[in-house]
Amino acid sequence: MDRKKILLVDDSSTVLLMEKMILSKSPYELVTACDGQDGYDKALAEKPDLILLDVVMPRMDGFEVCRRLRERDDTRGVPVIMVTTRGELNSVETGYQSGCTDYITKPINGLELISKVKSYLGD
Amino acid sequence: MAQGSGTRPPDEASTHRLQSVHDQLKDLIESLREQRERRVREGPPAPASAVSSPAEGPPLAPVPEVLDLEKRRLSADLAEARAELARLSGEEMRLRRQVADLEREHRRLSDDYVAVEEQNSELASLFVALERLHGSADRGDAMAAVQEIVVNMVGSEELGVYQLDRAGGLELAHGFGLAAARPDRYPPGDGTVARVAANGAPFVAGRGEASEDPDLTAAIPLRSGGRVAGVLAIWRLLGHKPSLTDLDQRLFSVLECHAGRWLSPAAE
Repeated sequence: MDRKKILLVDDSSTVLLMEKMILSKSPYELVTACDGQDGYDKALAEKPDLILLDVVMPRMDGFEVCRRLRERDDTRGVPVIMVTTRGELNSVETGYQSGCTDYITKPINGLELISKVKSYLGD
Repeated sequence: MAQGSGTRPPDEASTHRLQSVHDQLKDLIESLREQRERRVREGPPAPASAVSSPAEGPPLAPVPEVLDLEKRRLSADLAEARAELARLSGEEMRLRRQVADLEREHRRLSDDYVAVEEQNSELASLFVALERLHGSADRGDAMAAVQEIVVNMVGSEELGVYQLDRAGGLELAHGFGLAAARPDRYPPGDGTVARVAANGAPFVAGRGEASEDPDLTAAIPLRSGGRVAGVLAIWRLLGHKPSLTDLDQRLFSVLECHAGRWLSPAAE
Protein backbone atom coordinates (compact mmCIF):
# COMPACT_ATOMS: atom_id res chain seq x y z
CA MET A 1 0.00 0.00 0.00
CA ASP A 2 1.40 3.44 -0.98
CA ARG A 3 2.21 5.76 1.88
CA LYS A 4 0.41 9.06 2.16
CA LYS A 5 2.53 11.94 0.91
CA ILE A 6 3.02 15.33 2.53
CA LEU A 7 4.49 18.33 0.69
CA LEU A 8 6.38 20.74 2.99
CA VAL A 9 6.75 24.22 1.52
CA ASP A 10 8.90 26.82 3.30
CA ASP A 11 11.76 29.11 2.37
CA SER A 12 13.38 28.46 5.77
CA SER A 13 15.57 25.38 5.84
CA THR A 14 15.29 25.53 9.63
CA VAL A 15 11.51 25.15 9.47
CA LEU A 16 11.73 22.39 6.87
CA LEU A 17 14.21 20.51 9.01
CA MET A 18 11.97 20.99 12.05
CA GLU A 19 8.89 19.69 10.22
CA LYS A 20 10.83 16.70 8.92
CA MET A 21 12.09 15.91 12.42
CA ILE A 22 8.58 16.07 13.88
CA LEU A 23 7.02 13.99 11.11
CA SER A 24 9.88 11.53 10.67
CA LYS A 25 8.34 9.02 13.09
CA SER A 26 5.04 9.01 11.27
CA PRO A 27 4.28 6.73 8.30
CA TYR A 28 4.20 9.44 5.66
CA GLU A 29 6.42 10.19 2.69
CA LEU A 30 7.82 13.73 2.92
CA VAL A 31 8.62 16.01 -0.03
CA THR A 32 10.04 19.53 0.41
CA ALA A 33 9.96 22.75 -1.57
CA CYS A 34 11.97 25.89 -0.82
CA ASP A 35 9.67 28.66 -2.09
CA GLY A 36 6.19 29.29 -3.41
CA GLN A 37 6.84 28.57 -7.08
CA ASP A 38 8.75 25.40 -6.21
CA GLY A 39 5.89 24.40 -3.93
CA TYR A 40 3.30 24.93 -6.65
CA ASP A 41 5.34 22.95 -9.22
CA LYS A 42 5.87 20.06 -6.83
CA ALA A 43 2.21 19.99 -5.85
CA LEU A 44 1.36 19.35 -9.50
CA ALA A 45 4.16 16.83 -10.01
CA GLU A 46 4.01 14.89 -6.73
CA LYS A 47 0.23 14.87 -6.14
CA PRO A 48 0.58 15.07 -2.33
CA ASP A 49 -2.19 14.07 0.03
CA LEU A 50 -1.53 17.08 2.28
CA ILE A 51 0.41 20.33 1.95
CA LEU A 52 2.05 22.29 4.78
CA LEU A 53 2.46 25.76 3.32
CA ASP A 54 4.38 28.75 4.63
CA VAL A 55 2.92 32.19 3.95
CA VAL A 56 5.79 34.63 3.43
CA MET A 57 8.02 33.23 0.70
CA PRO A 58 9.93 34.55 -2.30
CA ARG A 59 8.64 34.21 -5.87
CA MET A 60 5.12 33.34 -4.74
CA ASP A 61 3.58 33.67 -1.30
CA GLY A 62 1.51 30.97 0.33
CA PHE A 63 -1.84 32.67 -0.30
CA GLU A 64 -1.17 32.77 -4.05
CA VAL A 65 0.00 29.16 -4.10
CA CYS A 66 -3.19 28.11 -2.36
CA ARG A 67 -5.42 30.12 -4.71
CA ARG A 68 -3.80 28.57 -7.76
CA LEU A 69 -4.09 25.05 -6.36
CA ARG A 70 -7.80 25.59 -5.74
CA GLU A 71 -8.31 26.61 -9.38
CA ARG A 72 -7.20 23.21 -10.68
CA ASP A 73 -9.31 20.10 -10.68
CA ASP A 74 -6.39 17.83 -9.81
CA THR A 75 -5.34 19.83 -6.72
CA ARG A 76 -8.58 21.46 -5.58
CA GLY A 77 -9.32 18.80 -2.99
CA VAL A 78 -5.87 18.55 -1.39
CA PRO A 79 -5.93 19.74 2.23
CA VAL A 80 -3.66 22.74 2.78
CA ILE A 81 -2.43 23.71 6.24
CA MET A 82 -0.94 27.20 6.34
CA VAL A 83 2.12 27.44 8.59
CA THR A 84 2.45 31.06 9.61
CA THR A 85 4.03 33.42 12.10
CA ARG A 86 1.10 35.72 11.54
CA GLY A 87 -1.51 34.41 13.87
CA GLU A 88 -3.52 37.59 13.81
CA LEU A 89 -7.10 37.21 12.79
CA ASN A 90 -6.84 39.07 9.47
CA SER A 91 -4.03 36.84 8.28
CA VAL A 92 -5.96 33.74 9.23
CA GLU A 93 -9.01 35.10 7.40
CA THR A 94 -6.90 35.83 4.31
CA GLY A 95 -5.65 32.28 4.45
CA TYR A 96 -9.14 30.82 4.51
CA GLN A 97 -10.24 33.13 1.71
CA SER A 98 -7.36 31.86 -0.41
CA GLY A 99 -8.66 28.34 0.13
CA CYS A 100 -6.58 26.89 2.90
CA THR A 101 -8.11 24.15 4.97
CA ASP A 102 -6.47 24.84 8.31
CA TYR A 103 -3.56 26.73 9.84
CA ILE A 104 -0.87 26.36 12.46
CA THR A 105 1.25 29.11 13.95
CA LYS A 106 4.98 29.26 14.50
CA PRO A 107 6.79 28.40 16.67
CA ILE A 108 5.50 25.01 15.63
CA ASN A 109 4.22 22.81 18.44
CA GLY A 110 5.13 19.22 17.57
CA LEU A 111 2.07 17.65 19.18
CA GLU A 112 -0.26 20.10 17.50
CA LEU A 113 1.32 19.49 14.10
CA ILE A 114 1.10 15.70 14.41
CA SER A 115 -2.48 15.94 15.61
CA LYS A 116 -3.55 18.11 12.68
CA VAL A 117 -1.75 15.94 10.13
CA LYS A 118 -3.37 12.79 11.53
CA SER A 119 -6.77 14.45 11.44
CA TYR A 120 -6.44 14.87 7.68
CA LEU A 121 -4.49 11.75 6.76
CA GLY A 122 -5.26 9.25 9.53
CA ASP A 123 -2.69 7.27 11.44
CA MET B 1 -62.46 -38.36 38.06
CA ALA B 2 -60.01 -40.98 39.18
CA GLN B 3 -61.26 -43.34 41.97
CA GLY B 4 -57.88 -44.16 43.36
CA SER B 5 -54.33 -44.77 42.41
CA GLY B 6 -53.76 -48.21 43.89
CA THR B 7 -53.51 -49.92 40.49
CA ARG B 8 -51.20 -47.25 38.89
CA PRO B 9 -47.37 -47.28 38.91
CA PRO B 10 -45.75 -45.10 41.73
CA ASP B 11 -44.58 -42.27 39.39
CA GLU B 12 -47.98 -41.80 37.80
CA ALA B 13 -49.56 -41.79 41.26
CA SER B 14 -47.28 -38.99 42.44
CA THR B 15 -48.11 -36.95 39.38
CA HIS B 16 -51.80 -37.49 39.90
CA ARG B 17 -51.55 -36.43 43.57
CA LEU B 18 -49.66 -33.26 42.70
CA GLN B 19 -52.19 -32.41 40.07
CA SER B 20 -54.96 -32.94 42.56
CA VAL B 21 -53.29 -30.68 45.11
CA HIS B 22 -52.86 -28.05 42.44
CA ASP B 23 -56.54 -28.25 41.47
CA GLN B 24 -57.64 -28.03 45.08
CA LEU B 25 -55.47 -24.99 45.68
CA LYS B 26 -56.88 -23.29 42.63
CA ASP B 27 -60.43 -23.97 43.73
CA LEU B 28 -59.63 -22.74 47.23
CA ILE B 29 -58.35 -19.43 45.93
CA GLU B 30 -61.49 -18.99 43.83
CA SER B 31 -63.76 -19.77 46.77
CA LEU B 32 -61.94 -17.31 49.02
CA ARG B 33 -62.40 -14.64 46.38
CA GLU B 34 -66.15 -15.31 46.16
CA GLN B 35 -66.43 -15.20 49.96
CA ARG B 36 -64.84 -11.80 50.03
CA GLU B 37 -67.17 -10.45 47.36
CA ARG B 38 -70.22 -11.88 49.16
CA ARG B 39 -69.05 -10.31 52.42
CA VAL B 40 -68.88 -6.96 50.72
CA ARG B 41 -72.40 -7.36 49.23
CA GLU B 42 -74.31 -9.08 51.98
CA GLY B 43 -72.51 -8.70 55.28
CA PRO B 44 -71.50 -11.75 57.32
CA PRO B 45 -69.49 -14.19 55.31
CA ALA B 46 -71.01 -17.45 54.24
CA PRO B 47 -69.36 -20.64 55.47
CA ALA B 48 -66.50 -21.63 53.23
CA SER B 49 -67.89 -25.09 52.96
CA ALA B 50 -71.06 -23.79 51.24
CA VAL B 51 -69.23 -21.94 48.41
CA SER B 52 -69.08 -24.43 45.62
CA SER B 53 -72.15 -24.98 43.43
CA PRO B 54 -73.51 -28.41 42.51
CA ALA B 55 -72.11 -27.93 38.95
CA GLU B 56 -68.52 -27.60 40.22
CA GLY B 57 -68.50 -30.74 42.28
CA PRO B 58 -68.48 -31.50 46.02
CA PRO B 59 -67.81 -28.68 48.67
CA LEU B 60 -64.10 -27.84 49.25
CA ALA B 61 -62.31 -27.81 52.56
CA PRO B 62 -59.28 -25.54 53.15
CA VAL B 63 -55.88 -27.21 52.64
CA PRO B 64 -53.60 -25.63 55.21
CA GLU B 65 -50.75 -27.96 54.31
CA VAL B 66 -50.87 -26.78 50.71
CA LEU B 67 -50.89 -23.12 51.74
CA ASP B 68 -48.00 -23.68 54.10
CA LEU B 69 -46.04 -25.52 51.44
CA GLU B 70 -46.63 -22.74 48.95
CA LYS B 71 -45.66 -20.12 51.50
CA ARG B 72 -42.41 -21.92 52.27
CA ARG B 73 -41.66 -22.28 48.55
CA LEU B 74 -42.22 -18.58 47.90
CA SER B 75 -40.11 -17.63 50.93
CA ALA B 76 -37.27 -19.78 49.62
CA ASP B 77 -37.58 -18.20 46.17
CA LEU B 78 -37.51 -14.74 47.71
CA ALA B 79 -34.43 -15.54 49.77
CA GLU B 80 -32.70 -16.91 46.71
CA ALA B 81 -33.59 -13.82 44.67
CA ARG B 82 -32.25 -11.55 47.44
CA ALA B 83 -29.03 -13.50 47.61
CA GLU B 84 -28.62 -13.24 43.84
CA LEU B 85 -29.32 -9.51 43.98
CA ALA B 86 -26.69 -9.06 46.67
CA ARG B 87 -24.22 -11.04 44.61
CA LEU B 88 -24.90 -8.99 41.47
CA SER B 89 -24.68 -5.71 43.41
CA GLY B 90 -21.26 -6.77 44.67
CA GLU B 91 -20.21 -7.67 41.14
CA GLU B 92 -21.41 -4.29 39.89
CA MET B 93 -19.36 -2.50 42.56
CA ARG B 94 -16.31 -4.53 41.60
CA LEU B 95 -16.73 -3.72 37.91
CA ARG B 96 -17.25 -0.02 38.64
CA ARG B 97 -14.01 0.04 40.63
CA GLN B 98 -12.25 -1.74 37.77
CA VAL B 99 -13.55 0.80 35.26
CA ALA B 100 -12.40 3.67 37.50
CA ASP B 101 -8.94 2.08 37.77
CA LEU B 102 -8.74 1.69 34.00
CA GLU B 103 -9.80 5.29 33.47
CA ARG B 104 -7.14 6.49 35.91
CA GLU B 105 -4.51 4.40 34.13
CA HIS B 106 -5.63 5.71 30.76
CA ARG B 107 -5.32 9.30 31.97
CA ARG B 108 -1.86 8.59 33.37
CA LEU B 109 -0.71 7.02 30.11
CA SER B 110 -2.14 9.92 28.12
CA ASP B 111 -0.31 12.41 30.33
CA ASP B 112 2.91 10.41 29.98
CA TYR B 113 2.50 10.28 26.20
CA VAL B 114 2.02 14.04 26.00
CA ALA B 115 5.06 14.63 28.23
CA VAL B 116 7.23 12.33 26.12
CA GLU B 117 6.08 13.92 22.87
CA GLU B 118 6.75 17.40 24.25
CA GLN B 119 10.21 16.31 25.28
CA ASN B 120 10.80 14.83 21.83
CA SER B 121 9.65 18.05 20.22
CA GLU B 122 11.98 20.04 22.44
CA LEU B 123 14.94 17.82 21.65
CA ALA B 124 14.11 18.11 17.95
CA SER B 125 14.15 21.91 18.26
CA LEU B 126 17.56 21.89 19.93
CA PHE B 127 18.96 19.45 17.39
CA VAL B 128 17.68 21.55 14.50
CA ALA B 129 19.19 24.72 15.96
CA LEU B 130 22.56 23.01 16.41
CA GLU B 131 22.40 21.46 12.96
CA ARG B 132 21.68 24.82 11.32
CA LEU B 133 24.41 26.67 13.19
CA HIS B 134 27.07 24.03 12.59
CA GLY B 135 25.96 23.49 9.03
CA SER B 136 26.46 27.14 8.09
CA ALA B 137 28.96 27.57 5.30
CA ASP B 138 29.80 31.21 5.95
CA ARG B 139 28.96 34.21 8.09
CA GLY B 140 25.96 35.17 5.97
CA ASP B 141 24.55 31.68 6.22
CA ALA B 142 25.14 31.68 9.98
CA MET B 143 23.34 34.99 10.43
CA ALA B 144 20.42 33.64 8.38
CA ALA B 145 20.39 30.58 10.62
CA VAL B 146 20.28 32.75 13.76
CA GLN B 147 17.44 34.78 12.26
CA GLU B 148 15.47 31.65 11.32
CA ILE B 149 15.95 30.16 14.76
CA VAL B 150 14.79 33.30 16.53
CA VAL B 151 11.89 34.03 14.17
CA ASN B 152 10.55 30.51 13.65
CA MET B 153 11.53 28.66 16.79
CA VAL B 154 11.57 31.32 19.52
CA GLY B 155 8.88 33.41 17.87
CA SER B 156 10.11 36.96 17.46
CA GLU B 157 9.86 39.40 14.57
CA GLU B 158 12.52 41.90 15.65
CA LEU B 159 16.13 40.98 16.34
CA GLY B 160 19.64 42.29 15.91
CA VAL B 161 23.02 40.56 16.05
CA TYR B 162 25.71 42.92 17.31
CA GLN B 163 29.42 42.25 16.99
CA LEU B 164 31.97 43.42 19.55
CA ASP B 165 34.41 45.87 18.05
CA ARG B 166 37.98 46.60 19.11
CA ALA B 167 36.87 49.57 21.18
CA GLY B 168 34.56 47.38 23.24
CA GLY B 169 31.41 48.74 21.66
CA LEU B 170 28.87 46.82 19.62
CA GLU B 171 28.19 47.22 15.90
CA LEU B 172 25.08 45.88 14.19
CA ALA B 173 26.11 42.87 12.08
CA HIS B 174 22.66 41.61 11.08
CA GLY B 175 19.12 42.80 11.71
CA PHE B 176 15.59 41.64 10.99
CA GLY B 177 12.44 43.70 11.42
CA LEU B 178 14.29 46.35 13.40
CA ALA B 179 12.30 49.38 14.42
CA ALA B 180 13.80 52.77 13.54
CA ALA B 181 14.61 53.41 17.19
CA ARG B 182 17.01 50.49 17.46
CA PRO B 183 20.62 51.64 17.39
CA ASP B 184 23.23 50.54 14.88
CA ARG B 185 25.83 50.85 17.57
CA TYR B 186 26.10 50.56 21.34
CA PRO B 187 29.02 52.42 22.97
CA PRO B 188 30.87 50.46 25.69
CA GLY B 189 28.77 50.14 28.85
CA ASP B 190 25.79 51.95 27.31
CA GLY B 191 22.64 50.13 28.35
CA THR B 192 21.61 46.55 28.90
CA VAL B 193 22.91 45.21 25.58
CA ALA B 194 26.38 46.65 26.17
CA ARG B 195 26.43 45.37 29.76
CA VAL B 196 25.65 41.85 28.51
CA ALA B 197 28.65 42.09 26.22
CA ALA B 198 30.82 43.29 29.08
CA ASN B 199 29.83 40.83 31.79
CA GLY B 200 28.72 37.88 29.65
CA ALA B 201 25.49 37.40 31.62
CA PRO B 202 22.31 36.98 29.53
CA PHE B 203 19.41 39.35 30.06
CA VAL B 204 15.82 38.09 29.90
CA ALA B 205 12.94 40.46 30.59
CA GLY B 206 11.08 39.60 33.74
CA ARG B 207 14.02 37.80 35.31
CA GLY B 208 16.36 39.86 37.42
CA GLU B 209 16.91 43.56 36.89
CA ALA B 210 14.75 45.46 34.46
CA SER B 211 16.22 47.05 31.35
CA GLU B 212 16.18 50.75 30.53
CA ASP B 213 14.73 49.61 27.16
CA PRO B 214 11.15 48.48 27.94
CA ASP B 215 10.82 46.72 24.57
CA LEU B 216 13.89 44.53 25.01
CA THR B 217 12.85 40.91 25.52
CA ALA B 218 16.28 39.28 25.73
CA ALA B 219 19.97 39.99 25.15
CA ILE B 220 22.14 36.90 24.76
CA PRO B 221 25.94 36.96 24.68
CA LEU B 222 27.37 35.13 21.68
CA ARG B 223 30.66 33.43 22.45
CA SER B 224 33.63 32.36 20.37
CA GLY B 225 36.33 30.34 22.03
CA GLY B 226 34.75 31.03 25.41
CA ARG B 227 34.93 34.80 25.01
CA VAL B 228 32.04 37.13 24.19
CA ALA B 229 32.19 38.08 20.53
CA GLY B 230 28.80 39.74 20.23
CA VAL B 231 25.23 40.01 21.51
CA LEU B 232 21.91 38.81 20.11
CA ALA B 233 19.20 41.33 21.02
CA ILE B 234 15.56 40.30 20.72
CA TRP B 235 12.74 42.80 20.94
CA ARG B 236 9.15 42.11 19.87
CA LEU B 237 7.73 38.63 20.25
CA LEU B 238 5.09 37.44 17.82
CA GLY B 239 1.59 38.64 18.72
CA HIS B 240 0.30 35.22 19.67
CA LYS B 241 3.34 34.41 21.85
CA PRO B 242 2.77 35.77 25.35
CA SER B 243 6.23 35.19 26.85
CA LEU B 244 9.48 33.22 26.63
CA THR B 245 9.46 29.58 27.64
CA ASP B 246 11.98 27.14 29.12
CA LEU B 247 12.64 25.84 25.61
CA ASP B 248 13.50 29.37 24.52
CA GLN B 249 16.06 29.55 27.33
CA ARG B 250 17.63 26.35 26.05
CA LEU B 251 17.70 27.69 22.51
CA PHE B 252 19.44 30.82 23.85
CA SER B 253 22.09 28.58 25.41
CA VAL B 254 22.64 26.88 22.05
CA LEU B 255 22.93 30.25 20.33
CA GLU B 256 25.27 31.56 23.02
CA CYS B 257 27.65 28.64 22.64
CA HIS B 258 27.51 28.05 18.91
CA ALA B 259 26.59 31.22 17.03
CA GLY B 260 29.41 33.45 18.20
CA ARG B 261 32.21 31.87 16.19
CA TRP B 262 30.97 33.67 13.08
CA LEU B 263 31.36 37.02 14.82
CA SER B 264 35.06 36.77 15.58
CA PRO B 265 37.33 38.84 13.30
CA ALA B 266 38.82 35.61 11.82
CA ALA B 267 35.41 34.63 10.50
CA GLU B 268 34.96 37.77 8.46
